[in-house]
Amino acid sequence: MAADSYEDVAKSKDTIPALEVQPQDLYHAKSFWTKYIFCQDAKVIGIQYGLTAVAIGLVGLASSWLMRMQIAFPGVIPMDPAAYYQLVTMHGMIMVVYLLTALFLGGFGNFLIPLMVGARDMVFPYVNMVSYWVFFLAVIILAASYFVPGGPTGAGWTLYPPQAITSGTPGGDGLGIVLMLVSLAVFVIGFTMGGLNYVITILQARTRGMTLMRLPLTVWGIFTATVLALFAFPALFVAGIMMTLDNMLGTSFFMPAIVQFGEQMTHEGGSPILFQHLFWFFGHPEVYIVALPAFGIVSDLISVHARKNIFGYRMMVWAIVIIGALSFIVWAHHMYVAGMNPWFGFFFATTTLIIAVPTAIKVYNWVLTLWRGNIRLTLPMLFSIAFIITFVNGGLTGLFLGNVAVDVPLSDTYFVVAHFHMVMGIAPVLVILGSIYHWFPLITGRFLNERLGRIHFWVTFIGSYAIYFPMHYLGFMGVTRRYYEVFEGEAFTYSITGINQFITIAALITGAVQFLFFYNIIVSSKRGKKAGKNPWKACSLEWRTEEVPPTHGNFGKELPVVYRWAYDFSVPGADKDYITQDTPPSAVANAKVEQT
Amino acid sequence: MAEDTQQHPLKIYFQVWTLLFVFSAFSYWVDWYGFESYLRWGLILAFMLLKAGFICAIFMHMWWERLPIIAAIMLPCFAILVFVFIMWHESYWTLIVRRIYFAITGS
Amino acid sequence: MEDSSSTVKIVVPPKQSFSKEWASDQKAFKGVPWGKAMMWIFLVSDTFVFSIFLISYMTVRFSTKAEWPNASEVFGLHVGHYNVPLLLIAIMTFILITSSGTMALAVKYGYERNRKMCGYLMLATAIFGASFVGMQAFEWTKLISEGVRPWENPFGAPQFGAIFFMITGFHGTHVTIGVIFLFIMTRKVFRGDFDTGRRGFFTSQKSHYEAIEIMGLYWHFVDLVWVFIFAFFYLW
Repeated sequence: MAADSYEDVAKSKDTIPALEVQPQDLYHAKSFWTKYIFCQDAKVIGIQYGLTAVAIGLVGLASSWLMRMQIAFPGVIPMDPAAYYQLVTMHGMIMVVYLLTALFLGGFGNFLIPLMVGARDMVFPYVNMVSYWVFFLAVIILAASYFVPGGPTGAGWTLYPPQAITSGTPGGDGLGIVLMLVSLAVFVIGFTMGGLNYVITILQARTRGMTLMRLPLTVWGIFTATVLALFAFPALFVAGIMMTLDNMLGTSFFMPAIVQFGEQMTHEGGSPILFQHLFWFFGHPEVYIVALPAFGIVSDLISVHARKNIFGYRMMVWAIVIIGALSFIVWAHHMYVAGMNPWFGFFFATTTLIIAVPTAIKVYNWVLTLWRGNIRLTLPMLFSIAFIITFVNGGLTGLFLGNVAVDVPLSDTYFVVAHFHMVMGIAPVLVILGSIYHWFPLITGRFLNERLGRIHFWVTFIGSYAIYFPMHYLGFMGVTRRYYEVFEGEAFTYSITGINQFITIAALITGAVQFLFFYNIIVSSKRGKKAGKNPWKACSLEWRTEEVPPTHGNFGKELPVVYRWAYDFSVPGADKDYITQDTPPSAVANAKVEQT
Repeated sequence: MAEDTQQHPLKIYFQVWTLLFVFSAFSYWVDWYGFESYLRWGLILAFMLLKAGFICAIFMHMWWERLPIIAAIMLPCFAILVFVFIMWHESYWTLIVRRIYFAITGS
Repeated sequence: MEDSSSTVKIVVPPKQSFSKEWASDQKAFKGVPWGKAMMWIFLVSDTFVFSIFLISYMTVRFSTKAEWPNASEVFGLHVGHYNVPLLLIAIMTFILITSSGTMALAVKYGYERNRKMCGYLMLATAIFGASFVGMQAFEWTKLISEGVRPWENPFGAPQFGAIFFMITGFHGTHVTIGVIFLFIMTRKVFRGDFDTGRRGFFTSQKSHYEAIEIMGLYWHFVDLVWVFIFAFFYLW
């Protein structure tokens, strides 16, 4: 019989470790402003992060639609090359940094970390609140760049100098690039405040009995990603400062002597490749900042909805940590054709292929968790399976691109676009969607509509395949990415126009169906089916709060005490098919628990 | 809570303080005396690391911390060392390419 | 914070092996307060910022074809008839180390609940810090008057001025922020906030002497960064 209240825990004779964490002194909001706007509750901050990220993400989505229209049906929406490059740039930057990073770490991190580790809030709620508002400021600055003369920057999301700050590039000689760089710097400052909070909450504010090896993998994923972000964002920050100086003050960090419109610029002796190194020292960990939370969350979703413990929990944790560590020494595989020291190709190809090992371990473990599980094809499960398929697909093309000799002809083609959209675009987004279906009952107490959800899932999954799978083929044909217009008949056969039109139609449909999802969220948050306390019968602590949805302070009078890991599903001998983390051993004496 | 571990005799602070002055004087003296090449760089690095080590260990109390936090602080710095190593080689390569290019173009 | 929760007993477990402490529940860093752990991790992150500044400096210096100016001549001062190399920089270094020492003592007296000593030492640290910033301003003025600009300088590679203003500027910003916080903390110490546990104006959290140690960590880090800048930029 599982203990359903904390009194049961107290009555039992199970040993409880001595308290090491001081009780938290929470600020209880009194007015509307401190409760919903300048709120110090991590859950509200998480939702604020999420909504802001999605709002700016919609701009990214609209950009991709316009881009696709231009590629497939040029002239339908009038657009000059400059506008096209601005769309490419803003789409990339918004999706990677302002949507995915902010949503996973700011959104899910804030909402789930305190609940899952058994804390009342983040360790410094005030700093956490400031973190959100600084992020909000970064988004405002980014959005402001649309309204300055010359428009936003069109340098590509990698912002490579010299072209990023020369006048041929849209936004390059105006405020566009400056606002972009300032926005990124502000984002880094804001994120650092939040990220320190997440890390210290996980390391120093866990509840009694919650060891690191009992944390749900969601927390491990977010934790490692946050650590990566804390150490990788400085590179972006510094590169941003240096490029701003190059642009505003005329320094020559990245700018070589260069002739612009027949005129010698004042720069002299800078090294553009230095920027590329700095950028990718941030940029590669950034890929895992987006991927690792997805890895963690999907592990939990699969385990809960297959009613089976995660296969090889320790292996999963170590794989996350090793991927995180290795991600700092693989960055130059983005630069094989950049003209760097030729010896580096060997080094970085090797490390890149080594990182495939822990990644493959994770994929095997997801599949082995599904193996003979009691799989329930709920929406989170569908999205998780879709994630595994998409991720394997994107990962395999990564093996192509990680090898120097194969990468060189494929560089800057649609093959690369297909690869990274599969692996860090679609795959994490599928996890985000799945996890919203999973945790929506925790946020609102209601389920999302199942029928709309299924339509949403199938259109999204098949649609995204329809978008990105043909792109591999385009890449092999040598269609270059970021081109404003591809002329048929000259370099390529007729078939690429057809493929491009097919991709565009798929993209429009897949994008549009997301609005069905938003409709679902809005309607279901008021009229959805009531979910009850632990609708998915999960083991982890976020469902063990006194009230669902949890109130400020998360848990009741006493914090829960943890006796086991978060994956005791279908334990032989137990009364129910799940044993929550705070169930003491005495309450499930007959259960044959293998791992605690 | 943390107080019991953070009581240290006054003496050690003054000792380290003096040492820092001495090391700074030495590294200044390296420049004054005009050592060149590897001896100069080696001495600069040695005094720098000694100073940094003493500040970290004594002034920042790392000497008295437990191993987990020391490891958590020191381990990420290996990523920096890798970065330094790579960029060191990269900058020499850039220089070689520049030399060749300017030799060919004659500028 | 623990005085607010007199009913709850908090323990710091005895030292165990590295792996056991990592594998334990509640805290990975036993006995380390939240704020201190957070400052440490922030400092590691900031280490990355300064390291990447210095790495960029190394890269541009090693890869430039132009002559790199001799720092010991550029930063020399005329004293009477003598040309003393790096004189101002040496004085700045000694001042920063002095301030680091007073800060370390302030932390010690803070933990001994010696309010007066702690306050005076904090004040001394703040004043030393402020004089460091002043000297840096003097150094900047002198170099600018000699024609050093971020985009060019009369001595050699144009990156020299750019790197100089960027790195010392960023370090100076850190020192300035530190000085501002030192003055705020000094006021808090003298007012007795840390003895009475007065609540912070913004955070509404109770004040605690740990804050002085956290301030100290930041200040020593600023000194630490200067050690590296001194070695790599001025002496190399």
